[in-house]
Amino acid sequence: MRSLREYIRLYFMIEAQYIKGRMQYRSDFIISSVGMFFSSLATLGIFWVIFDTVPNLAGWSLMEMVFIYAFYMIAISPMQILFDHAWQLRYHVQQGTFLKYYFRPLNMMFYYMSEIFDLKGLTQLVTGIALLIYASIQLHIDWSLWRISLLFIALFSAALVQISIIVAASCAAFWVVNSYPVLGLAWKLREFSPYPMSIFDGAFRFTFTYVIPIGFVAFYPSQLFLRPQDVSSLVYFSPMIGVGLFAITYWIWTKGVNSYTGTGS
Amino acid sequence: MDLDDIEHSFYNRQSLLFLFYFLGKIMSLIHIENLSKHFSILNRREGLGGAFRDLFSGDYRTVKAVDGISFDIDAGEIVGYIGPNGAGKSTTIKMMTGILKPSGGTIEVNGITPYANRIRQAQIMGVVFGQRTQLWWDLPVIESFKILKEIYKVDQKTFDEHMGLFNDLVDLKKLYTQQVRTLSLGQRMLCDITASFLHNPQVVFLDEPTIGLDISVKAKMRSVIKELNQVRNTTIILTTHDLGDVEALCQRIIIIDKGSVLYDGDIKKVNSLFGAYRTLKLQIDGYNDSTLQTLQDAFTQKFGPEHGIAIAATEEFWTDVTIDQARTPLADVLNFIMTTFTVSDVRIVEISMENVVRKVYDGALK
Repeated sequence: MRSLREYIRLYFMIEAQYIKGRMQYRSDFIISSVGMFFSSLATLGIFWVIFDTVPNLAGWSLMEMVFIYAFYMIAISPMQILFDHAWQLRYHVQQGTFLKYYFRPLNMMFYYMSEIFDLKGLTQLVTGIALLIYASIQLHIDWSLWRISLLFIALFSAALVQISIIVAASCAAFWVVNSYPVLGLAWKLREFSPYPMSIFDGAFRFTFTYVIPIGFVAFYPSQLFLRPQDVSSLVYFSPMIGVGLFAITYWIWTKGVNSYTGTGS
Repeated sequence: MDLDDIEHSFYNRQSLLFLFYFLGKIMSLIHIENLSKHFSILNRREGLGGAFRDLFSGDYRTVKAVDGISFDIDAGEIVGYIGPNGAGKSTTIKMMTGILKPSGGTIEVNGITPYANRIRQAQIMGVVFGQRTQLWWDLPVIESFKILKEIYKVDQKTFDEHMGLFNDLVDLKKLYTQQVRTLSLGQRMLCDITASFLHNPQVVFLDEPTIGLDISVKAKMRSVIKELNQVRNTTIILTTHDLGDVEALCQRIIIIDKGSVLYDGDIKKVNSLFGAYRTLKLQIDGYNDSTLQTLQDAFTQKFGPEHGIAIAATEEFWTDVTIDQARTPLADVLNFIMTTFTVSDVRIVEISMENVVRKVYDGALK
């Protein structure tokens, strides 16, 4: 078996080459990055429109919303950058090109996901970081060392939640011929995550908290920094939720991989 | 555990490896016994209503893609694994490469069960699947090879040796800096094949390695495969529809149809079978319902009743005349037809895989 260190080394080696290759298509990189930048800002525009008419959203101010949104942007970036190949899974499965991922002495999810490193996601990550810094200055958040470590743990768990939801949804391709609606739904749901869960109706809030826990991508963990005094105890479980969800997703992936028979040749 | 112990276990491992090496010499590399793979497939109904009813249907039928096959393959052999479409070739290969779990029977490659040890199996095998490249599409060729070196933990010395050999064989160096996506199909296939040998695997599976290539590249491909097999003593399992590949490369062929082994043995016997047959495709002017009978009668009259010529109308306007050259020379038949009938177009084709299989069924090898 290969150690984690070997996998990381291999990952850097593959991505370094991949980025070098992609950089040859410079205009592709620039255009997609600019597009990503503006589409991230579009949601901020929606916030401004909302707050133009209402002073707060279920008790949350504009700047707090910006913080939550910045947290969300950072948290979904690892999914965007490292797991972007999930989107193509259904093509590979249908066309039979998925077979090749069985042929290397590597973990299959690693090998499959390592084939694409989404550069435009970096724009989102950088924008998110900049926004988070801006919002936390405006909100006078006091960043102690403890808080910063907490932020990293919270972001890591949130990223795992988002990755798990998307990868699990993409695995539908192993059993369903046209699996796009499943993945499309998972992708759409992500858009609810930067909003306060308290604005949703009971059934939706329950779903977003316990069933498809997108609340844990941004809103719940952000409370740790915005309203530390009244954080629900559930929030402290978010690392467990992240790791647990990823474990379930990995199990689904393994099931899918084992049930795949390929196309005739 | 002190240093001595570590050293001790190291020597033990060495001697174990030697033991396995010698055992390997005695045992076959691939051992397949009574192997089968059954799929349950939903019996689908027609139309939208049918599709809706299918949702709740428990009406499955079992398809026996592979149904109790057995054979052994030794190290260093090149085996042609052939059969018509849907015969179960792919399914067997998928079981040998660790993708599919067999429904029954035993399969061992180098003593391990592929399905249960996918990663170990991947380390000792190389695979080339038709036109689907396994190299990194956006990377230059040499970088793909360097990543493979890392994946398979090939040391620098071995790597340099191998790259030297590939350079001699296919002049790989001039492709080094090209992105894989910019290679021609032939260049890419050559790169894929050499890449599959990089980690010195014990067995390489080649699935349709020459499909879509022109004749000169085909010939190159075959000589490279043959060379690598001889230099490395690598076992090669070749599945193909191109009987030319089989003739050029294999000493042994296994013919499979409907999930069972039809023939397993020396190529020479089969060679005489498809080597001897050629099919003439004719477009005869004024073709009508009685043309086939007219041809039949004319052949009987000209070459006697034991002429060994079969006539069939396959596509519109085309008449297939399959000739057993052991009985009647092709040139004579062609000559006779051209002088007796008005023919607007002629093609000579080699016998197809389907026809070989049909002949084996008809007892041609008994």
